[in-house]
Amino acid sequence: MECADGASWSVEDSTQVRPYAVTSGRTQPRHLLSLESVLEAGSAEPAGTASPEAAQILALCRSHRRSIAELSGTIGQPVPVVKVLVSDLLDARALWLPVTTPFYDSPTGPRPHTQLLEAVSAGLRNLWPDAASKAV
Amino acid sequence: MQDYGTCGPTPPRRPSDRSPAVSPAGLKIVIAGGFGVGKTTFVGAISEIEPLTTEEYLTAASAPTDSLDQVESKETTTVAMDFGRITFDVPVVPIPVELFLFGTPGQERFLHTWHSLAHGAIGAVVLADTRRLDASFTAVAYFEQLALPFVVAVNQFPRAHRYSADEIRQALVLDPGVPVISCDARNGTSAASVLMTLVEHARSARFTEPAVLDMRP
Ligand SMILES: Nc1nc2c(ncn2[C@@H]2O[C@H](COP(=O)(O)OP(=O)(O)OP(=O)(O)O)[C@@H](O)[C@H]2O)c(=O)[nH]1
Ligand SMILES: [Mg+2]
Repeated sequence: MECADGASWSVEDSTQVRPYAVTSGRTQPRHLLSLESVLEAGSAEPAGTASPEAAQILALCRSHRRSIAELSGTIGQPVPVVKVLVSDLLDARALWLPVTTPFYDSPTGPRPHTQLLEAVSAGLRNLWPDAASKAV
Repeated sequence: MQDYGTCGPTPPRRPSDRSPAVSPAGLKIVIAGGFGVGKTTFVGAISEIEPLTTEEYLTAASAPTDSLDQVESKETTTVAMDFGRITFDVPVVPIPVELFLFGTPGQERFLHTWHSLAHGAIGAVVLADTRRLDASFTAVAYFEQLALPFVVAVNQFPRAHRYSADEIRQALVLDPGVPVISCDARNGTSAASVLMTLVEHARSARFTEPAVLDMRP
């Protein structure tokens, strides 16, 4: 089977998308979220009917801010499911989205600002002072 | 390895209680490579949390099943990605910086995931296994096309043939500016040096940009 850009996969790989049961069948999040969107706990409690998975997400975000990718990996639910659950929690103000990454627009798309790259370099250097690139 | 995840739940704070200045900046790096090349090992060597597996769905509209039936069926397949993070608190910027690492398979059918992963990323590490150099070719061609900064990190497996950097450059048709370095994905210091090389490369590959970082939330 071919899709638009020539990527293909066999039917054996295709999955029946049962995990959407967790979201009562909803597949579209109401908020624009990416894998690296970071969530923090908000002030409100979610409605009493929150699913166990939503409660898990909330508990995780209360102990430390977490990205969508990390929430998905930790609770063992696929990313699209987590996005729907997180959208519900954002609507309920039980979570909030604190971060906008300072990007600048390069001709080839958004890129992180140089000062942030310097921060990553310095941070890596602090943690691994002996790191030195090795020629092949 | 630090893990913030093990501390007990703290009461939720109101967003208005916080200064926007303490919100972290999130950055990401893509770790790409073929099967068994060491993606999970690499992410695990550098992450402050145990590397996680995250599942994303890919949906592709397939061709109509026959000419009478114009209804397109949707096929969904699952892509597993590795995920790890490191948090830095350095004086260079007034906010903590979180670096996310995404380990992603190197097959063409995953190009859709790469596209969203590459969006806004610092760059990519293409892990190359000298036993199957051609497995890295798709990733190299793709990141080149996106103009995403990348480095090639050669994982040296026991008994694998040792190529010179020039041989690897030729085999992968690399631009002269692309760093080719050796790496042991099992070793945090080695993996960190690969990331440092990538960040330096990304800095040198800058286009014109505003001089001052705008920290408005
Ligand atoms: N000698 C050597 N072995 C490595 C290195 N990196 C990974 N390995 C070993 O290679 C094997 C595969 O590594 P993984 O990290 O699972 O590779 P992967 O790319 O995640 O594999 P898939 O997810 O199956 O595609 C493991 O047994 C690792 O211990 C390396 O740099 N040097
Ligand atoms: Mg793996």
